Amino acid sequence: MPEIMFMIKLSNVSKSYQVDEETTFFALRQVSLEIKEKEFVSITGPSGSGKSTLMHLIGLLDKPTTGEIIIGEKKISVLNDDDLSSLRNEFVGFVFQQFNLISKLSVLENILLPTVYSRKELNYDPQKKAVDLLNKFGLFDKKNSFPNKLSGGQQQRVAILRALIMEPKLILADEPTGNLDSKTGHEIMRLLKDLNEKEKITVAVVTHEADIAAYGRRIVRVKDGKLVKS
Amino acid sequence: MNYALFIIKSALEDFKRSKMQTFLTSLGIVIGVFAVIMLMALGLGLKKYISDQFDSLGKNTLFIAPGKVLQGGSFGVSSFLGNRFDIRDLNRLSRVRSIVGLAPMSSKSGEAKGSIKSDYVTIFFSSSDFADISGFSIDKGRLFDKADVSKRAKVLVAGPKIAEKLFGSSVDAIDKKVSIDNVNFTIIGVLKSKGGGGFGGPDYDSYFFGPYTTGFLFDPQKQFTRFAVKADPNVSIEQVKDDINRAMLQRYKEDEFSIVEPSEIMSVVNSIFGIMNIVLVAIASISLLVGGIGIMNIMYVTVSDKTREVGIRRALGARKKDILMQFLVESIALSVIGGAVGLGLAAIGVFFVQNYFPAYIDLLSMSLALGVSSSIGIIFGVLPAKKAAALEPVEAIRYE
Ligand SMILES: Nc1ncnc2c1ncn2[C@@H]1O[C@H](COP(=O)(O)OP(=O)(O)O)[C@@H](O)[C@H]1O
Ligand SMILES: [Mg+2]
Repeated sequence: MPEIMFMIKLSNVSKSYQVDEETTFFALRQVSLEIKEKEFVSITGPSGSGKSTLMHLIGLLDKPTTGEIIIGEKKISVLNDDDLSSLRNEFVGFVFQQFNLISKLSVLENILLPTVYSRKELNYDPQKKAVDLLNKFGLFDKKNSFPNKLSGGQQQRVAILRALIMEPKLILADEPTGNLDSKTGHEIMRLLKDLNEKEKITVAVVTHEADIAAYGRRIVRVKDGKLVKS
Repeated sequence: MNYALFIIKSALEDFKRSKMQTFLTSLGIVIGVFAVIMLMALGLGLKKYISDQFDSLGKNTLFIAPGKVLQGGSFGVSSFLGNRFDIRDLNRLSRVRSIVGLAPMSSKSGEAKGSIKSDYVTIFFSSSDFADISGFSIDKGRLFDKADVSKRAKVLVAGPKIAEKLFGSSVDAIDKKVSIDNVNFTIIGVLKSKGGGGFGGPDYDSYFFGPYTTGFLFDPQKQFTRFAVKADPNVSIEQVKDDINRAMLQRYKEDEFSIVEPSEIMSVVNSIFGIMNIVLVAIASISLLVGGIGIMNIMYVTVSDKTREVGIRRALGARKKDILMQFLVESIALSVIGGAVGLGLAAIGVFFVQNYFPAYIDLLSMSLALGVSSSIGIIFGVLPAKKAAALEPVEAIRYE
């Protein structure tokens, strides 16, 4: 039985938008990319180059116009919306630039939100796991606070805890330091690096900053919707 | 965390943070439900009032009223024109062999001065048969009898409530004087409570009853508004009606009087209430439609306000149907809150109206209020919720 060398694979993936009747704009053009298990990849490139588009495709939030995305052994083109939702729920954890916590839910409720949407039998108590994670990240005393009472760094840590609650294989972070000062940004990056090294979670970080991209053991460069060899 | 609990909590959390908006949005439903429940309560009260009038009457009771009371299954006009009977009719009817009890009816309202306080009261004047025919029985003292009637005795029998109000208690009222429109009466008895009033039915407990001859003090024309008759149980009711008809025709034309069985009146009352209910449903539909559109409108606003949130939830694994449910629960909650508030206001309204009228809210109108308002939430919430569910995850998460 051949070992699967990649956890997610994009082959000849393009994403285009119809600007008007004559013009088609390609946000991504013929991208082929493999992300292997336990990898730490940085995806970097100038603003507007298509990094977020790439991340949304990897995270199954978006579908390619042409080309195929394969996760494990599954072609995502044959999956329906519910299957994709389940995969996002169980397989991927997202971290965003704007933290994207839900303002009317408490810290604890935000962290537990993915478990609400889970249809798989969890082999742990989510409530207990959330509390453990909060303790580990030094946020236990904030568990009943609301996001707007937290600093940016704290909010991003809560977002990472929310990404971790389902024990995902892959964490996708889109400019996770973009709204943080440099010191806090590096703290967050060290945290992601720790998760990759100690918990063996695959991490892909999208960033336009070179020093943030440097955390990756592999750097993928995007320019005008195409991958460029580094 | 429990899924259902979580989405309900999400919806309520939203309302907590925008109380004014929640209130204004559900105002349409509040007013709609309030109006319908209130009207239903008044209708029910009226119906109970009328049916209670006849409840205490036995099978063998008939009414004789001036004019045509019932015409083609509905109340006739002439019954309200104020035609009256008089003592000649009473005498004629008392000679009908198949009548075993005869109670003429007239009434007088006025200011009554008791030992403790004064109140505006109504006296029913009738014969000594009235208690038997109407199902009253005496609690303290005695009823007035034939001798009181022939003597035109200024005696009254009091309902227990009015006795207590004017004199402190039933016992204290006995043998006391009460002055009504400057005529002094002696209270010779107090009736047992018939219930009614307050929560439904006419408040017999608050009336006075006296000999009809004494009532002539207030009515020089010596007239009666109607007769209540107890038919001989050994004679068929049709036969009794025939006998009465013959007696009355000696003086009146066919259409100048009616002989009515309580059951006939009840069937007319029921058919009138059938029509009233249709009108109610029409009013309800219009006001609830307006309320529903209000909810739909605010839900569209909510969906567009929460586009980003939908994107986040979708990224975390929410399916389309999870998003649909979230918004549907919110619109149902909005609408049910409106319905419950409307119901509560109607309950308060009914509570106050009950001082004057026996309105009440029954289980049907309660379940109707909540059932209809939750349906409104579903019907008018489903389009906005579908719009939210149909949002593309990537577009929602990119939404600024
Ligand atoms: N829905 C869309 N319609 C049209 N153009 C889009 C849409 N989404 C993204 N784009 C365009 O695709 C390009 C790549 O965007 P993005 O992936 O967000 O870039 P990056 O994250 O590298 O800054 C940008 O020029 C952007 O304007
Ligand atoms: Mg971007």
